Amino acid sequence: MHTNMAEPMELLCWGGDWDLPSVHTDSLVVLAYAKFAGAKLAVKSVDWTWRTITASVPQLHYEGSTVTEPTQILNFLRKQSFNADYELTAKQGADTMAYIALLEEKLLPALLHTFWVDAENYANLTRPWFTSHSPFPLNFFVPGRQASLALSRILLTKAESPLLNITEVEGKIYSEAKECLNLLSHRLGNFRFFFGDMPTSLDAFVFGHIAPLIKAPLPSGQLQKHLNQLDNLCQFCNTILKNYFTDATTEKRMDCSPTATHDPVDANLQKLTQLVNKESNLIEKMDDNLRSSPQHRPHRHEAKPSALASERS
Amino acid sequence: MSLAAEAFVSQIAAAEPWPENATLYQPLKEDQILLSDSASSLAVQTFLRMCGLPVQVSCRANAEYMSPSGKVPFIHVGNQVVSELGPIVQFTKAKGHSLSDGLDDVQRAEMKAYMELVNNMLLTAELYIQWCDDFTATEISRPRYSSPYSWPLNHILAYQKQWEIRRKMTAIGWSGKNLEQVYEDVSQCCQALSQRLGTQPYFFNKQPTELDALVFGHLFTILTTQLTSDELAEKVKSYTNLLSFCHRIEQTYFKEHDREGQSVSSRHSKSSLP
Repeated sequence: MHTNMAEPMELLCWGGDWDLPSVHTDSLVVLAYAKFAGAKLAVKSVDWTWRTITASVPQLHYEGSTVTEPTQILNFLRKQSFNADYELTAKQGADTMAYIALLEEKLLPALLHTFWVDAENYANLTRPWFTSHSPFPLNFFVPGRQASLALSRILLTKAESPLLNITEVEGKIYSEAKECLNLLSHRLGNFRFFFGDMPTSLDAFVFGHIAPLIKAPLPSGQLQKHLNQLDNLCQFCNTILKNYFTDATTEKRMDCSPTATHDPVDANLQKLTQLVNKESNLIEKMDDNLRSSPQHRPHRHEAKPSALASERS
Repeated sequence: MSLAAEAFVSQIAAAEPWPENATLYQPLKEDQILLSDSASSLAVQTFLRMCGLPVQVSCRANAEYMSPSGKVPFIHVGNQVVSELGPIVQFTKAKGHSLSDGLDDVQRAEMKAYMELVNNMLLTAELYIQWCDDFTATEISRPRYSSPYSWPLNHILAYQKQWEIRRKMTAIGWSGKNLEQVYEDVSQCCQALSQRLGTQPYFFNKQPTELDALVFGHLFTILTTQLTSDELAEKVKSYTNLLSFCHRIEQTYFKEHDREGQSVSSRHSKSSLP
């Protein structure tokens, strides 16, 4: 039975929780962009269906064709004349691509680690959530599969020898992620969105990546703590949720900045850069301990004389 | 490098000035080096020239294995060995030479973002074309990569490298792409770079930075290396301001070697830009 109106576009994505329309980064990116561009999407969640393991999420269906991957879906929406980037200059379009690459290279590994590889978070938050949102018997497989995909991605892209162990890579990816968040905060400054007053695809990508980090109740979240100190990014996230996703959020407004002071953005950032440096020193000490353990090849010759000296004495 | 090793290197690096006998190691230029390694090596050489630091280029068949991180190129300065552009930039900064000091925070954020764009798109595309495209892999990459070794080691090493790169491509989601999509991605990346560059001489107006070195390294190598098809070079050539950018940097920093024509180009290449 045909109607005169074209069928709405259908989006498959993971379901929502923690005040968010979806807990999955890529799905959030697409949902946010659709809201910004004014595209009407019929959102179907894959929770509790067999599609949790068969479909690659997010997935857009329209008139028989299927598009996956956020970048492809955004291109498709643009072709259907739902373009949130219409008013950007060529240089701003180039900046968008560059910042998205920065997000993917620097922030994504740490996000994957926080949710899927960190033992405490995985056991207490991620796995129970995904297990409870998958049908039997997939609930045994889905979280494990996602976790091993995340781990292999981190190891293959970030762990160059001699950093062959995930624990050694951790320090590096978290410090890179914190630096990336600082850079984003610098770039956002005091503006509402990255390119002025209207949200664009870059805003969608940044929102998709940082919103789960802000909102998820993570038991061990050093990256989350770092992000909560970047007021302008928290504000950015809450603004988008309030203005574009009000039906998905509850009345409870999360106060995301623990420090109630009104530090200007610059002072906060300087403090954070110092914090990152201090962290590097702490991680250095941690690394020291790892390096002095017998399974690891010693890299620094200074460490050896003291160990030998203490053995001899 | 891990954070601990980085901090350690910086401390020691700050102690001594840049020596005269600094050496850069890369695979054999005539027979062995591949597009992606050649691009990275040229980027590092350009960066060091921009800083005014002398370095000699030495070609070794086992450069990849000598490198501390397994990637080429690497430099041997004094008694330290540092590999890859990122750590080398930090190392030279510790010695007091830096190209990006004049940038403010927002510009530095942009510079890092664009460097990631080049690494994410151009470098990955180069690796894909070399190792995941069967025709190129069989005709060019595998024979060249394994040329210094005898049978059966050459087969084993070449297939091992190919398998490793293909695994990486699968992990980041590029294995589902076909060659056309990869060329399209390269084109978009070049368009972004071209729009950012505009009519300025360098990406951050008057002064070259490590971003200029990185972009030059990749684009020049793409333009002057012969692969099985010229499509990649054609994609880059369609952006005239990028072409003139490459010419300008070649003239400014590699002029004295132009007559020899050896240190900038590789065997599979035409020795100057079209």
